Amino acid sequence: MSDSTRTEQSSARDWLRRHSELGICVLLLAMGVLVLTDTFSMSVEFTQRGPVGPRTVPLVVGCALILVAVLLARDVLRGGRGEAEGGEDIDLSAPSDWRTVLLLSAAFLANAALIDVIGFPLSSAIMFWGAAFALGSRNYTRDPLIAVALSTITYVGFDTLLGVPLPGGPLMGVL
Amino acid sequence: MDSLNLLLDGFGAAITPANLLFAAIGVVLGTAIGVLPGIGPAMAVALLLPVTYGLDPTGSFIMFAGIYYGGMFGGAITSILLNTPGESAAVVTAIEGHPMAKKGRGAQALAASAIGNFIGALAGTILLVLLAPTIANLAVDIGAQDYFAVMLLAFIAVTSVLGSSRLRGFASLLIGLTLGLIGLDQLTGQQRLTFGSLELADGVDVVIVAVALFAVGESLWVAAHLRRTKDKPIPVGTPWLGKSDLRRSWRPWLRGPVIGFPFGSIPAGGAEIPTFLSYAAEKRLAKHDEFGKGAIEGVAGPEATASASASGTLTTMLTLGLPTTATAAVMLAAFQQFGIQPGPLLFERESALVWTLIASLFIGTVLLLVLNLPLAPIWAKLLRIPRPYLYAGILFFASVGAYAVGGDITDLLLLFVIGLIGFGMRRYGLPILPAVIGVILGPSAELQMRRALQISDGDLIGLVNSPFAITVYAVVALILLWPLIRKLVGNRTKEHAA
Amino acid sequence: MRARNWLAVLAAAAVALLVPPLLSAGQGDESGDISGLRVMVPNTPGGGYDVTARTAAKVMEDAKINTAPEVFNLPGAGGTVGLGRLVNERGNGKLVMSMGLGVVGSVYTNKSPASLTDTTPIVKLLEEPNIVVVSRNSPYRTFDQLLADWRKNPGGIPVGGGSSPGGPDHLAPMLMADAAGINPQQVNYISYDGGGELLASVLGGKVDFGVSGLGEYRDQIEAGELRVLAVTSRERVPAVDAPTLTELGVDMEFTNWRGIVAPPDIPDADRQRLITLFTKMRNSPQWREALVRNGWTDAFASGDRFGDFLRAENQQVARILGRLGLA
Repeated sequence: MSDSTRTEQSSARDWLRRHSELGICVLLLAMGVLVLTDTFSMSVEFTQRGPVGPRTVPLVVGCALILVAVLLARDVLRGGRGEAEGGEDIDLSAPSDWRTVLLLSAAFLANAALIDVIGFPLSSAIMFWGAAFALGSRNYTRDPLIAVALSTITYVGFDTLLGVPLPGGPLMGVL
Repeated sequence: MDSLNLLLDGFGAAITPANLLFAAIGVVLGTAIGVLPGIGPAMAVALLLPVTYGLDPTGSFIMFAGIYYGGMFGGAITSILLNTPGESAAVVTAIEGHPMAKKGRGAQALAASAIGNFIGALAGTILLVLLAPTIANLAVDIGAQDYFAVMLLAFIAVTSVLGSSRLRGFASLLIGLTLGLIGLDQLTGQQRLTFGSLELADGVDVVIVAVALFAVGESLWVAAHLRRTKDKPIPVGTPWLGKSDLRRSWRPWLRGPVIGFPFGSIPAGGAEIPTFLSYAAEKRLAKHDEFGKGAIEGVAGPEATASASASGTLTTMLTLGLPTTATAAVMLAAFQQFGIQPGPLLFERESALVWTLIASLFIGTVLLLVLNLPLAPIWAKLLRIPRPYLYAGILFFASVGAYAVGGDITDLLLLFVIGLIGFGMRRYGLPILPAVIGVILGPSAELQMRRALQISDGDLIGLVNSPFAITVYAVVALILLWPLIRKLVGNRTKEHAA
Repeated sequence: MRARNWLAVLAAAAVALLVPPLLSAGQGDESGDISGLRVMVPNTPGGGYDVTARTAAKVMEDAKINTAPEVFNLPGAGGTVGLGRLVNERGNGKLVMSMGLGVVGSVYTNKSPASLTDTTPIVKLLEEPNIVVVSRNSPYRTFDQLLADWRKNPGGIPVGGGSSPGGPDHLAPMLMADAAGINPQQVNYISYDGGGELLASVLGGKVDFGVSGLGEYRDQIEAGELRVLAVTSRERVPAVDAPTLTELGVDMEFTNWRGIVAPPDIPDADRQRLITLFTKMRNSPQWREALVRNGWTDAFASGDRFGDFLRAENQQVARILGRLGLA
């Protein structure tokens, strides 16, 4: 690899980083295309009465999505910037901390994957602990106990007291 | 003044020490269950209905009124403290309420909400007493074209929440409209954007969207930029509403019922659209430009609107037997347990019982205030827990709410995907509110427009053939042309206005 | 220090895994009683299946037939989300679902993979005739006047119903049109979100006539605000002064119904116990009271008879929806 290609590469990456908002345009564009594809695959043989049928509004929304995607792309390329949201707990001067985001997402998705297998109390406790860990809590004794207390109390409240069923875990019916 | 005497008799029957105790139990239970994620007032009432079986009708009405108001207020508590609306009427509350809580003004937000609820319910119930028959007659005259006209008005109001970049505001609105398209088309039964999934056939619940965009999106965003400086707990300032808070809140409290009650009493009204309209109105009228950062007006107005709208719903249900919201449908079922069939004959047939019920509503709302106002600072202290626990708790809460009711993993995945969209929107300055409004307004606007056109068998005149609709369009035109008119008349000082 | 951490994790896991089974084990079996029976309601609280299930649960308790079963809601896609869950609970003899005609139609409109013919039929409990109603101020005084105009211009006579396409209020006018020689595809059906919203538009004259269940509108009929032009049941309904469609020369009868089904392949003993339980419930005086209070018509059929009925209904619904392009 020669030096010039490397600088080209890094400048391309730089350019993309500065214009990462184009990702939103891609998202909007994809949504627009998806909406339009779905709309045209709908059968309206019997069902439409009058000028406005089940396809009209999706058609308008789909086209508007594509239009806004294009306009937004133009705005971004001309140097427009969406202002990232601030807040009490947010430090915008620090670069994005992707590790924390990924850990938090993993905790959330683990709950979705495990809840029907190992039951609500354990799975939700894992999520709580995982999320707390991702956000910097490192008390390995207190955290799991808090997590389990929270999830077990919630389980008892919903399942036993209110009769809203939640999965109890692999030992249900065994004991 | 006949109804006044009947109402006094109702109070006579309702106010006994035992009944007051039942009311108190109802309020506490209702609030406790309303706070639970995923359980809105409809579920709260359905779940607690068996508790009231053992009591005599008066006692159970009293307890029931307590549960109902408690459940409504419970939804607002989570909106404010955890950014996780418990029900659709509390979605708008989160927008200003949560930032207030983050600034250490959680107690004030809760108090503004509790008092707003109280005033809304009080005004609504008074209007119920005075206007019940009139309202009922007016309500049935509202047709699809009128709804559509009002929705257009609401869309105009959206422009006031688009944020600094109109283009990004529109992008957000369109994301909401797209999410609103998901599901079976109500008029023709066609699948739209469901990809064959049954879980998506009913569309995406606005509460799920709001929780995902607000709570999950925010948690992810905070994770990306967590302030690593000393972890100081969220301050819990003075526990009470200060003078300036009161000065800022009393007008929104009083304006709320004016918007909420009529909306609640019309068949397809509900609480989402009036709460949003109240928010938009308060934003426009406010002198402080604190909106988006925790403006107390944005809590006071919508909360009073929501509870007045509930009274409106009750009015139509009692006088017409029309259950227009899920909560009203559950209440209808509750009344039937006592052999009461709401409807045009109810006031004649069961006069004593009805007035007792109405008296119970007054008592329930007073007790809610009495019990919850002192609790506000205690609730607010919840936020003193360290940040990792706070955000872990918010995620926990959000996912329990999404999962508990349906028991379906699809809802969790939906929560996450929409949460990611919320994250992206925060990162690139797309305002969140228009998306939520899109989910609320889009489907009903489409439904009413198509229904109006279908009733006229496709004739476009069907959209404008009522005096009400024409009036609303005139208002819309006036709002749109206002800047122009002002320029033409323009003899006053230049103002910096929208 | 590390040991303490591991201890905490272990204790936490133990609590999370052990508490749920221990809690549910507390509710031990008692003889003759079906303990731990749960009734799934596939629509929202306050809806028809919900009221039926909760009323049945209360009657069981009041009449001391069984401890009240736990009623829970699993709404979605016109009941097919709940149906899917039920079918997945193969062999579970302690779960039943409250359902009715609406679910039959939803299976088609939602293209549900699970079908009602997969379930174990327990009992059909009740029927509710549909009615053709207009507001007090409507120009139509008899069904014949309405029918004449409807035939002339089906598109110009909007008919309202409280269910989405595929539901009972949608099927009834379609079958009616079919029997009266009107092409169902021409019928201008306006779907409303439940009987309440429909009522307002019938009262306000927004639609020319409405088709709905009788129970919801008894009070308005009695007050004279609604006029019933016809009932769709085979025989006249005692409380309502209106002819049946057959009397009017439209050869069609239609009733909405509700019943109880269980998951597929449940043990025979469980099936028998459930049938016995619901039969006892239906025979109690408390249930009879509830029928009167809610305006329901008793229409009991159990086991295989209910199964045959389900199959017949399924075919009829499939036929009409097929013609409308919805199935």
